[in-house]
Amino acid sequence: MIEIEDLRFRALTIPRLVISDGTTAVIGANGSWKTTLLRLVAGLFRPESGSITVDGVHPVPGTTGFVDEYPDRNVLFSRVADELAAPLRFCHISCSEVESRVKEAAATIGFGDRLHQTMDTLSGGEKVLIALLTSLITCPKTLVLDEFDSHLDYESLQLADSLIAGSGARTVVRCTQNMDLAARCGKVVFLHQGGVLHDGRPEEVFSETESDCFYPFSWRTRR
Amino acid sequence: MRLRLSSVEWHAGPWKCSADGVFVPGVHMVSGRVGSGKTTFALLSSRLLRPDAGTVEYEGISSHILSFQHPEYHITGRTLDEEAGSYGVDPFTACARAGLAGREHEDPFLLSRGELKRFLLSCILMRPWDLIILDEPFSALDCRGKLSVCQSIHENRSSIVLVITHEQHILPRTDYLWEMRSGTLFGLGSLPGAISAWESAPGPVRMLLERGIIPANLTRDDLLEAACRIRE
Repeated sequence: MIEIEDLRFRALTIPRLVISDGTTAVIGANGSWKTTLLRLVAGLFRPESGSITVDGVHPVPGTTGFVDEYPDRNVLFSRVADELAAPLRFCHISCSEVESRVKEAAATIGFGDRLHQTMDTLSGGEKVLIALLTSLITCPKTLVLDEFDSHLDYESLQLADSLIAGSGARTVVRCTQNMDLAARCGKVVFLHQGGVLHDGRPEEVFSETESDCFYPFSWRTRR
Repeated sequence: MRLRLSSVEWHAGPWKCSADGVFVPGVHMVSGRVGSGKTTFALLSSRLLRPDAGTVEYEGISSHILSFQHPEYHITGRTLDEEAGSYGVDPFTACARAGLAGREHEDPFLLSRGELKRFLLSCILMRPWDLIILDEPFSALDCRGKLSVCQSIHENRSSIVLVITHEQHILPRTDYLWEMRSGTLFGLGSLPGAISAWESAPGPVRMLLERGIIPANLTRDDLLEAACRIRE
């Protein structure tokens, strides 16, 4: 569970927000400070005042699986194999186990025979799929995903969602501009100009957006 | 005015991108799976990538521009007004159109990714171009930004507009549909007929096709109208 109290960071102000276990979508217009909130939750930024705790502990970088919205900002190493292996190597896991887990992970997205390919030859969508796998490879309890889905086609998105669902992560916080995807999450947090405009179950939050394009397309067409 | 790709091939190790096609004025949507070669096709069409075989001919095209998938690749100015100036457009108008009025002196890298994308598309679409190639123009945009870009694309339909995208819900009115399949470009034809052959169709279009419904076009209104037919 993620608890935010009296948070201030630049223009982001959140008096109180609780993100319970399960999957939470963070939505809002461009420039509503979604990415900043996600970086704070992942421990990549520290609050200027107030607090964020994840399962009662202040988040520190490296303990949470994180995927950046900029595909290239996820890349640390030149080869796909090294990129996937990095979090395991940083945990001093044995070479043989690293190798087997990397092969197993790569196979899940059809990259079993592309481990020696260089990252710079991948498409934007392929880079974020590798970033997602890299974030999952150490089985983190918390996953923070910043709009990686905007780089994926329909089938790749289904694949990514099945990887996330099967990851065992207890808390998933994902920013998205895909309202249908947000509607499938357990909770939705709608940010507006650096504050929380609405938060709650999808039915509660989207009942406030019915006249707007921030309303799931599939809900407009359901019988 | 035509963009003609004739027996174009480009190789990267064992992977090959192949394209044959003639693009006339109007809105051409190019979709495909992740890694199918969409961006390579955009680079070849914009002549930023030289084909290993075949030709890319601009017939009667005197101006062209490519909007990169990743907006951060575009930045050359230290401020938004410098950046707008590099496109030859008025920075105040460009910022206003992007919803960034009063922020002309800000560093582009301090914007959110969606704001940056909106600003660059505003700069690009403010000027007339004979050939406009938009690689993933909707990624990072919120729904209002996507609708606004759809409107701008529609206003530029007398040009040749290539929209390379896997956007799922908010798409522009489209004249011709193309698809990259494992590195090869396929022309599916004009709409609405082409929709039934669309392998990488977005979720809402798939849902309609599964029910035997073909929307008149791909705009949000077209998809909603088609979905209403399910109820009847």
